[in-house]
Amino acid sequence: MDELLRILSETCPGIDFENEKALIDDGLLDSFDIITIVSEIMDVFSAEISVEDLVPENFNSVQAIWALIEKRRN
Amino acid sequence: MSFTSPVFLGFILFFLLVYYLLPRRLQWVVLLAASCVFYISGGIRMIAYLLITTLSTYLAGRLLGWLNEKGAGLSQEDKKLLSGRLRTQKRLTVFFAAFLNFGMLYVLKYWDFTAHALGRLIPGSNLPVLNLAIPLGISFYIFQSIGYVVDVYRDKYQPEKNPFKFALFVSFFPQIIQGPISRFDQLAGQLTALREPNFDSIKYGIQLTMWGYFKKLVIAGRAGVLVDHVFNGGTKYDGSVIAFAVLFYCIQLYCDFSGGIDISRGIAGMFGIDMTINFRRPIFAVSLTDYWRRWHISLGTWMKDYVFYPLALSKPFGRLGKFTRKHIGGTVGKIFPTSLATFIIYFIIGIWHGANFRYIAFGFWNGIIITSSLILTGFYSGVRKRLGISDQSRLLRVFRILRTAFLVFIGRYITRAPRLLTALSMLGATFLNFHPERLFDGTLLTLGLDKGAIITVLAGIVAVIYVELLQERGIEIRKSLEKRSFLVQWLAILVPLTAIILLGILNQEYISAEFIYAQF
Repeated sequence: MDELLRILSETCPGIDFENEKALIDDGLLDSFDIITIVSEIMDVFSAEISVEDLVPENFNSVQAIWALIEKRRN
Repeated sequence: MSFTSPVFLGFILFFLLVYYLLPRRLQWVVLLAASCVFYISGGIRMIAYLLITTLSTYLAGRLLGWLNEKGAGLSQEDKKLLSGRLRTQKRLTVFFAAFLNFGMLYVLKYWDFTAHALGRLIPGSNLPVLNLAIPLGISFYIFQSIGYVVDVYRDKYQPEKNPFKFALFVSFFPQIIQGPISRFDQLAGQLTALREPNFDSIKYGIQLTMWGYFKKLVIAGRAGVLVDHVFNGGTKYDGSVIAFAVLFYCIQLYCDFSGGIDISRGIAGMFGIDMTINFRRPIFAVSLTDYWRRWHISLGTWMKDYVFYPLALSKPFGRLGKFTRKHIGGTVGKIFPTSLATFIIYFIIGIWHGANFRYIAFGFWNGIIITSSLILTGFYSGVRKRLGISDQSRLLRVFRILRTAFLVFIGRYITRAPRLLTALSMLGATFLNFHPERLFDGTLLTLGLDKGAIITVLAGIVAVIYVELLQERGIEIRKSLEKRSFLVQWLAILVPLTAIILLGILNQEYISAEFIYAQF
């Protein structure tokens, strides 16, 4: 989880990732950020994330992103 | 049948009455009948293309739904064996549906351009020119239907079983001319729901429709006269006059397109249907990226979900990302593949507007600005820090809004001029031959509009900006009106209505029946 928080803060500095629960719904992350985060996640965690996973529910909070990583980890 | 014709008003009134008077279970049939009448009124032959799209995407949806069910019913062992085969079958289904529909779109919209361009590149290639008429709204309904097919492929929802209900989703008349490009899960359920007449939604629908007519008939129609006059005259005008005409074109395009969408959404609202929003006050955009997120939203999100994400997450792009991170490094290495995907999207959006080099240039213009601003983000924030400017500064926001408006303004030269070279020479004239005194010496009154008409356009756009400023601050105009006195509520209806009648309907010389985006 710490590693994920590091990736997120490096990609989008200034967002309170630990507490934010509506990263997508509130427009804090855009499609460009998502792709950058997903590419990093795929590299660092060896998780196979596909286009079908790119829905707001999977990216609204750090917990949701972590759950997605766990699900898609090889 | 144009949205601006009196026949259309009769058409709406008739189908609204039938819609609410007939038994509720027949309501969706009324909408389908209205959609058929509306589409056929544009020419019976054009319905063939609509039928091809409807039938092919309906069948693809059913087949994908069947394959999804087959996949879900497999045991763990069978899944290992068969999931690859199922995926290939599903992909082939999407491929055929996309190939047939985009192929049809290509032939209708881009074949002649290809033939001309090839003829110039390879003399003697002699590809035949087809001169086919482009059916009403074809790119909008194809995009909407292919979005549905991909969603079913992704197992986002079950496919529609009833072909006629599906046909209604593809052909729903308020949206077929110029969108918005709706999503099946957002729209289809609403189209077939059983509805009681709801006074509020009918009233809101009428208000939104009137606002749309005001923008289209009072502002866009007038602005268009001056724009046509100057652009038909090419570069003979002074740079300041050209810039004024481009400003009018920005006003015309915004009022024409957003007005048309307001009419569409308003009419759908009268039938109790809430269509997706397509504009979120682009005039207040703080960057070009933000602008495209606020302008023609349904096309942007379509591109994001069905082109940008698949492209950026594809294997070649993944490999490219690894390569650039390793060999280029830094911010550029990190964002290179995503920037490339962004660039490709704007290139496609450019071409979507039409088969012409100037639209390709328009795509490039947006792509270059947006990708370079992505690369320069770090540099900009460094400059702001050094100058001690806060990101929340109001002045910075105003600066960003003006900068975005300027970039959009430049882009509009490219899309409005008849040819790319003309656009460039008009741009050149604006910067090299700019004499502001021309704006005050009476030249403006020789461009097809009298003083009153020019003032109407300018006052109209000020009213639009004021309303949008209130909305930007979170005020819901129609709801807040209800809290005002009866007199204010009536004035809010009567003033725009009088303006539409006096300045729009009774001034036929300024009425243009066509919508600019209908040609895309």
